[in-house]
Amino acid sequence: MALTGFAEDVIFKAQAPSQVVVGRPFQLTYTVNQRSRDLRAPEFTDFDVLAGPYTSTSSSMSLVNGRRTSTYEQTYTYTLMAQRAGTFTIGPATVRVDGANVQSNGVRIAVLPEDEQPAQQQNASGSQNTQSSQSARSNQGSQGSQGSVNADNLFVRTIVTKTRVHEQEALLLTYKLYFANVDVAQLTNNTKLPEFTGFLKQELEQGEVQTELEHYNGRNYQTAVLYRTVLYPQHSGDIQIDPARFEVVIRVQTQQQVRSIFDNFFATYTNVTRMLTAPGVTIHAAALPKGKPAGFSGGVGKFSLTPSISQTEVQTNDAVTIRLDITGAGNMKLLKTPSIDWPEGFEPYDPKVTNNFSTSTAGMSGTKSIEYLAIPRNAGEYTIPPVTFSYFDIEDKQYHTLRTPEYTIRVKRGAGESSVSAGSTANGGAVYYAPKEDIKQLGSDIRYIDTKPLKKNTERKVQHTDLIWLFYVVPLVLAILILIVLRKQIKENADAARVRYKRANKVAQKRLKAAAAALQANDKDRFYEEIERAAWTYLSDRLSIPTAELNKDNIAALLAQKGVSETLINEVKNVLSTAEFARYAPTTDHAMDDLYRATTQLINNLEDQRI
Amino acid sequence: MKNRVNRAPWAKKRLIGILCTLYIATFSLCAQTTFDEANAAYAEGRYAEAATLYQSLLDEQPNAQLYYNLGNAEYKQGELAQAILAYERALRLKPNYKEAKYNLAFAQSRITDNVREQDFFLSSWARAVRNSLSEWTWTVGSIALFSLALIALLLFLLGREIWLRKTAFHVAWIALLFSIVSGANAFSLHQRDTLRNEAIITQGIVNAKSSPDRSGTDLFTVHEGTKVTIRETIGEWANIRVGNNEGWIRLQNLERI
Repeated sequence: MALTGFAEDVIFKAQAPSQVVVGRPFQLTYTVNQRSRDLRAPEFTDFDVLAGPYTSTSSSMSLVNGRRTSTYEQTYTYTLMAQRAGTFTIGPATVRVDGANVQSNGVRIAVLPEDEQPAQQQNASGSQNTQSSQSARSNQGSQGSQGSVNADNLFVRTIVTKTRVHEQEALLLTYKLYFANVDVAQLTNNTKLPEFTGFLKQELEQGEVQTELEHYNGRNYQTAVLYRTVLYPQHSGDIQIDPARFEVVIRVQTQQQVRSIFDNFFATYTNVTRMLTAPGVTIHAAALPKGKPAGFSGGVGKFSLTPSISQTEVQTNDAVTIRLDITGAGNMKLLKTPSIDWPEGFEPYDPKVTNNFSTSTAGMSGTKSIEYLAIPRNAGEYTIPPVTFSYFDIEDKQYHTLRTPEYTIRVKRGAGESSVSAGSTANGGAVYYAPKEDIKQLGSDIRYIDTKPLKKNTERKVQHTDLIWLFYVVPLVLAILILIVLRKQIKENADAARVRYKRANKVAQKRLKAAAAALQANDKDRFYEEIERAAWTYLSDRLSIPTAELNKDNIAALLAQKGVSETLINEVKNVLSTAEFARYAPTTDHAMDDLYRATTQLINNLEDQRI
Repeated sequence: MKNRVNRAPWAKKRLIGILCTLYIATFSLCAQTTFDEANAAYAEGRYAEAATLYQSLLDEQPNAQLYYNLGNAEYKQGELAQAILAYERALRLKPNYKEAKYNLAFAQSRITDNVREQDFFLSSWARAVRNSLSEWTWTVGSIALFSLALIALLLFLLGREIWLRKTAFHVAWIALLFSIVSGANAFSLHQRDTLRNEAIITQGIVNAKSSPDRSGTDLFTVHEGTKVTIRETIGEWANIRVGNNEGWIRLQNLERI
């Protein structure tokens, strides 16, 4: 209980049980550590004063290491009885200590209603059977005198603050021992808790087991909290919590045949262990609504974000620290650490996370501090994009996104560094090279939109596709018309030349035959004329050049072009000049014979060459 | 009208705006204004708005540039299929649109299906050649080459000089060959654009059936953004081909390019 007092050394306090039952006497005590008088108690409006105040004093003195300490205590005791159920406050009392008024604290008392069972039995007094009278007796008897121990007066309840929660929303689960008229000596270690599969479990510190009175199901029980834990459902759906088992040791009075006046006084007790089962419970966890923000941290609860940056103007190689303090209540343990997108040129280190959480019956709360450290390696002005932290708010059932401001960090070149790492021969001849870096591909994206002035669609469409064939047919017809008109020339160009080419040998052979006849007839003029014409027309036909345009020089050139050998060309020249000269010069039969043979040989040779 | 505009330059923009709402006759002027507006919306990240504006311009007249920008706006909204569709349409209008090609390849790299064309490499190469020029270019080219071939033929037949005739002969047959190839390409493109038998899957995931009804066996799955060839349609069903797979899907799940 809290304490109040004027002087530092005067302690005056009021004490009373926090829960009482209607119709049961209880004691209210006022304690002062100084001599006092004139206690003025407040008015006990809702309580009957059965007795008191009784005053008692006690004092003690002790000598420790030559130091004398004395304690003195004066106690005023009232015996009160509550008139009706409810919660009442008894105001402060005053007392005089050394002529000054000292005020005590007030006391809050929860008054529980009476057990219903005895009342029912009193009403139904006509139909009493042995069993009910026995239990009635045991109820009315004081603690320690035992009746039967059953599920009505000794059990463990599973209490959850809520059975319908959101995924990741905290709920408190309590195993509470209820007992009435049973003497519970202790809780053994033989406790079997469920696995709590599907939950994140955060146990609450369990102090010394304290019993409290509680009115439950129309009956007053002594209660003791056996185990408390905060649970966070890890997935949506119905999650089953299995029953838990607790073992308690109760003291049972042994039944003795011998009844004496000392029966109660010397009653013998035996310890009996009892296994109690706390029922299982099903938690309905609703999934988080759709539309999670991109950087959802997994946080469910209520959070706030306090960002800070160590400095925005640094030198290269000096660390920059960004600190995020996420404060709030919720599933703090499961929060993902948001990441900072450090620009290129910063060397980031793993963030340092400091958790300062405390768990209460309402869940986990506290602060998660994240320190991001990065070292700028290149001078320049850099922008650190905002860090976002989103969570689901249990109260308004919505996602919230917190973001840090965008930091601009100006990095100056540190002393002793230069952008141009020139070779330094002074420094032991060592030469430093600037580290070369390839252009790094940081990411890829589509190319930007085309913002050139909008041009009209210049792409021409093919119109009248069914008439396209005209574009082919018309030139074709034109070409055919031209050919018809000029077919004579074609004949001259193509047919005549070709025919003459093909007939060249025949014509030449004819002329040679005629020359042979002339030789036989000894007709010198005719012979030379035939020989000459045979050679000239043959060459003319074969080279597709009119005879008029031929002379010895261009014949040699054309033949050379066609790949005719030098000796053959010389022979051609020889034959032509011999025929030319012999015609106008006196010759012998022998020479004519030779020329005939040479010409025949030459034409045959040229024929073989396929000029 | 022109005088008024000149006298009050500050009111120019406003005047154009009013004109735009009143007359469609001033198309090019209006279009540029709307286009600038859409570009500004895109630059500020209001992609949905930009896409609507581009689309409204496209409804009036198709344009490669607009399709390209629409594709970008759709891509930025995560509408992969619509983006691919817009890029494909941009390339239909302007086969050598470098940015559109790049972004199309980029968008295609992000779709789920990895359709490997099992074609012989020559046929895919031939298709690339075909798609590199427009139908109009191919047609005009084919006609021009045909005419050239005829002229060369005439020269060959009528020429007197050997070298002229020889050259003309070679030019003639080469020109005729290329004319035929160009004509074939033009025809192929014409077929593609009139039949419109290429389509993009717009539904996130579609099961292709063995027959054009709901009870058909599921044959394979195609995802959003995949390009398919429509072979035939029956009612609301289309027989499609993807790679070497063939099956029936509903027409509402795809959009023709």
